[in-house]
Amino acid sequence: MTPAVEAGGVGKRYGALVALEDLSFAAEQGEILGVLGPNGAGKTTAIRILTTILEPTHGSFSVAGIPHTRPAEIRRRTGVLPESAGYPERQTAEEYLRYQARLFGQSRAAARGTVDGLLEEVGLADRGRSLIGTYSRGMRQRLGIARALVNEPQVVVLDEPTLGLDPAGQRQMLAIIRRIADDRGATVLLCTHLLAEVEEICTRVLILNRGHVVAQGTVAEVAQQASAPRTATIRIAGEDNERTRTVLSPLHVESTGGMLRVSLDDVAPNELLRRLVEAGIDVRSYELEAARLSDAFLAVTGAAA
Amino acid sequence: MPATAVVLGQELRDLWLGGRALVLSLAFSLLLSAIAYLVATNRALNFLEQRETVNLTLQVAVAVGALLALLTAADAISGERERRTLESLLLTPASRLAIVAGKLVASLSLWLAAFAITIAYVWFLGRGVGIAGDALASGIVVGTLLAIFLASLGILISLFATSNRGSLSLSLFLLLALFAPTQLPSAATSGWAGDLLLRVNPVTAGEHYIGRIVVDGRGWSEDIAWLTSPLIAAAIAAALALAIGAQRLNLSGGASA
Repeated sequence: MTPAVEAGGVGKRYGALVALEDLSFAAEQGEILGVLGPNGAGKTTAIRILTTILEPTHGSFSVAGIPHTRPAEIRRRTGVLPESAGYPERQTAEEYLRYQARLFGQSRAAARGTVDGLLEEVGLADRGRSLIGTYSRGMRQRLGIARALVNEPQVVVLDEPTLGLDPAGQRQMLAIIRRIADDRGATVLLCTHLLAEVEEICTRVLILNRGHVVAQGTVAEVAQQASAPRTATIRIAGEDNERTRTVLSPLHVESTGGMLRVSLDDVAPNELLRRLVEAGIDVRSYELEAARLSDAFLAVTGAAA
Repeated sequence: MPATAVVLGQELRDLWLGGRALVLSLAFSLLLSAIAYLVATNRALNFLEQRETVNLTLQVAVAVGALLALLTAADAISGERERRTLESLLLTPASRLAIVAGKLVASLSLWLAAFAITIAYVWFLGRGVGIAGDALASGIVVGTLLAIFLASLGILISLFATSNRGSLSLSLFLLLALFAPTQLPSAATSGWAGDLLLRVNPVTAGEHYIGRIVVDGRGWSEDIAWLTSPLIAAAIAAALALAIGAQRLNLSGGASA
């Protein structure tokens, strides 16, 4: 099956300045791909290229199977919430969305139906006739999501959708994003600084740094690239302590008050547990302390230094 | 419906229902009222002939009407850029050409409204000497050509401007430069060089043509050559605005536009 978004060696240069270099990835239909990176990493450039606002200097990409040489068709299949998008303050949400729907070729009647449904979906049905100028930050972000969905897109690109939202607003936004992928089957490219969000809802992540892709894969795969120690903490009966050390040799084992901490650098968690069980050791608890995405992020972007 | 019509419809709603065009039109009416009062007073005192009062009023109406179109066009793209609403427009499948064309045509609505307001004043000042019809006809032709020319320049400036203030300032400066020769003493515009200066500048050529018809009572075709530069300027500026807009309309403006 053709990936919903596929990029190969995409780059953008402004003279000698390299904004993006060799962006290569694929995102499948219905997946939520987190696009991460520190400020100036090239995220917004990547998003603007993939949404055809900017032309790449080199490389190629396709969205919903449409090659980048046909930008209007890509735009027809893509929904975008740009970072810090502006809205016409003197229009109502209904007017604004109807205008956008009509620009996507919908008739007046179809646009009205689309807009009613979207306002309901993002929880703005009761404020659809209010001027956008009266909207809070959270309402504007939800309006932006509605705008991004006005053309029933196959790919939705959200640049910092939770920026400036309070925790409740963030939860609400994440729920909407999850519904876009689950209910609509759309592929979501989620650009954000909030790693907890990514760990929570993204199926895969892509980390950019200084215009280069420095890591990509599932959250677990990327997290494994972290330099942070990953350990298993095992509680066993006191009399099994020495025997456990023998069984686990030559792995590095630390003992602290009846608890053993075993480094997972050289052994998989399941393999470790299997060895203990097969040796007949009474394992009373077994906890994995996995590296978090934030550790990986700091490690691969060099921000930890 | 083509994207141009959708953009045009929205731009007209923003301009007129949003109130900006209404305020400008009201200001235009007040200005024209003041001008009409002054010229009518001068005529009553025999300082001005009736034809000259009509000519003066019509020339002010054409100049200010075209100015309104220019300012609206100068704000059309750089203003959206500054308000951060341009990106959502560029993310739609509407072509850059359709977006620019819709905005250009919408800006001309200011001139048409100004002309509609002017009709009453010209009719009032020109009644009794039978020149109101010719004056209005020459006014709509010249004014429309100048409005297209200036609005297209406004769009071009707006395309490349990195700030809305810069776009509006440059547009105003350009307008003043184009209108400056109309204030030159007649001695400065005599001779072949002066004549060339008047003919090449679309603004002075257009206003001169109106004067010939309204004040001198000349026929439409007698001085038609004076319409050459307004016509060429309008055609070239509009073509450039649309062609460059279709290629270079982008988020950042400046040299990268």
